Amino acid sequence: MDDRSTDSDPVTAGESSILDTLGEDVIRIVSPVSLCMLLVVLLVSSVSSTNDLSSSISSLFLSSTTTPTSFSSLNLLLLGSDSTWEEIKSALVTALSFVVVVTLLTFLLVLLFYFRCTNFLRIYMGISSLFVLSFLGGFISLLLISHFKIPIDPFTFAILLFNLSVVGVFAVFMPKFPISMNQGYLVAIGVLTAYWFTMLPEWTTWALLIAMSLYDLAAVLLPIGPLRLLVELAMSRNEEIPALVYEARPVDPQPGDRVRVWRERTDVRIEATENSTNSATVQTVQETRLAVSEEITAPLIEAFPQTGDRHLGTEEEEDGIGLGSSGAIKLGLGDFIFYSVLVGRAAMYDYMTVYACYLAIMAGLGVTLLLLAVYRKALPALPVSIMLGVVFYLLTRVLLEVFVVQCSSNLLMF
Amino acid sequence: MEGRDDQPTADVESGARLRPSAVRSRGAVTWPSVDGPLGVSWEEAETSARRFFFWGFAFLPLLWAVNCFYFWPVLVSKASPSSSPHFSRIRSYVVWSSIGFVIFAVLLTAWALTFAIGGEHLFGPMWKDLVMYNLADKLQLTGLM
Repeated sequence: MDDRSTDSDPVTAGESSILDTLGEDVIRIVSPVSLCMLLVVLLVSSVSSTNDLSSSISSLFLSSTTTPTSFSSLNLLLLGSDSTWEEIKSALVTALSFVVVVTLLTFLLVLLFYFRCTNFLRIYMGISSLFVLSFLGGFISLLLISHFKIPIDPFTFAILLFNLSVVGVFAVFMPKFPISMNQGYLVAIGVLTAYWFTMLPEWTTWALLIAMSLYDLAAVLLPIGPLRLLVELAMSRNEEIPALVYEARPVDPQPGDRVRVWRERTDVRIEATENSTNSATVQTVQETRLAVSEEITAPLIEAFPQTGDRHLGTEEEEDGIGLGSSGAIKLGLGDFIFYSVLVGRAAMYDYMTVYACYLAIMAGLGVTLLLLAVYRKALPALPVSIMLGVVFYLLTRVLLEVFVVQCSSNLLMF
Repeated sequence: MEGRDDQPTADVESGARLRPSAVRSRGAVTWPSVDGPLGVSWEEAETSARRFFFWGFAFLPLLWAVNCFYFWPVLVSKASPSSSPHFSRIRSYVVWSSIGFVIFAVLLTAWALTFAIGGEHLFGPMWKDLVMYNLADKLQLTGLM
């Protein structure tokens, strides 16, 4: 992925190999993804715990889990129990319309970025993250408060919510903020949005996941893809795309004479694509209410110096990049969200599927990082992981569960 | 490395194990922020500290806490002859922020605990109307999304 030269370092004798810091690099991107997934699974299983038993039993007979939300209950009320085919149809329509809206908004983003309306974009994204943190955050905390009967008064609640959301917006958009808070708030936004997505009906969620991974694949790799255009624009101008992107702390901060602010880098690096920030209005066919979703998707990008044929000894020239030779892995927030949606939806069935999907997603992420190291350009992070996750979910649900249940009930295992 | 010998370790490989806030040795604070070399410079730090301090008055005491956290190395070390000229100014902002945050936290915790523990026999039947989960049900707040 990147070379770290320590020629000027008196302590280490020769050059360091990539293996010295590769593990740390990967861990620093895998941990927040895992944390996000864990929080979503906890949220899903705690808030819907009263319905867990009935939903798992009914899911053995029906093809959809009954979730204690307004969407699916309204669904079932309207259509009755033989709604499987109807659900599939509505799911496909919803997913398709979502992808269309996301494509249009991404093209709009490319256009705005082309006309250098960066300030407008930043303000818009600030407002959308404020929305996510305050409304969605408030809604989910109200769910938790109601579920666990926490005796909090509205005054304290309002103060805490206001503080946490405003500081969250600052943390995500101001460059001069503690890195740990920035990362923490990005994970929080991912958790909130992912939880909101898991409240969609089951077929819709799966259709949406598959549609978004196909869209990601197309948008990043095709030459007319909006994300690819965005990345090329950003690269040609040496600017950073205004988007919600999680950036792992570089393993090797080389303090130089000039202290570089972590985010403001004049890049000679190859910056891979950053995806769009969208606010999409999801209209499900059966539901009459409009669900506003704040959706921020971005593929996996890596920023690292253009080493290429550069000799390791000329490290000092790279000082202008700011973080020395250490590149940092960047993962778009949309990837966090969709991974967590998959795992959250798996959690609504059983914990077995959670473990299987978690492992599948991590494997997919590893494969994507590997491809990133090989190809060194923008890569979509969704397709491999989501496809593996869906396959593992189906296999677990259909094959593994039967096996494990029979083994346990005959006291053969566990 | 540039040969600064007030860095606690010159080993670049152990950079991962180096806590940025531990870049303080022989009394002098090298980096003002807790992010160390990735954080702000001394001039920017003063601007940031001042901004956090004044914005905290807009009902945002959490910004005061962020101020203390971000400039922790400044807060816990004393001024020494080799430290930057901005040090004392940053320190005053951070100290006042910490005082403000502590006062706010004490007040809020006291009120919240009174409400939670006092419950009905302190507030009467009004408590049931005020508590958040009943209020949310009454106002149908959880049905909005």
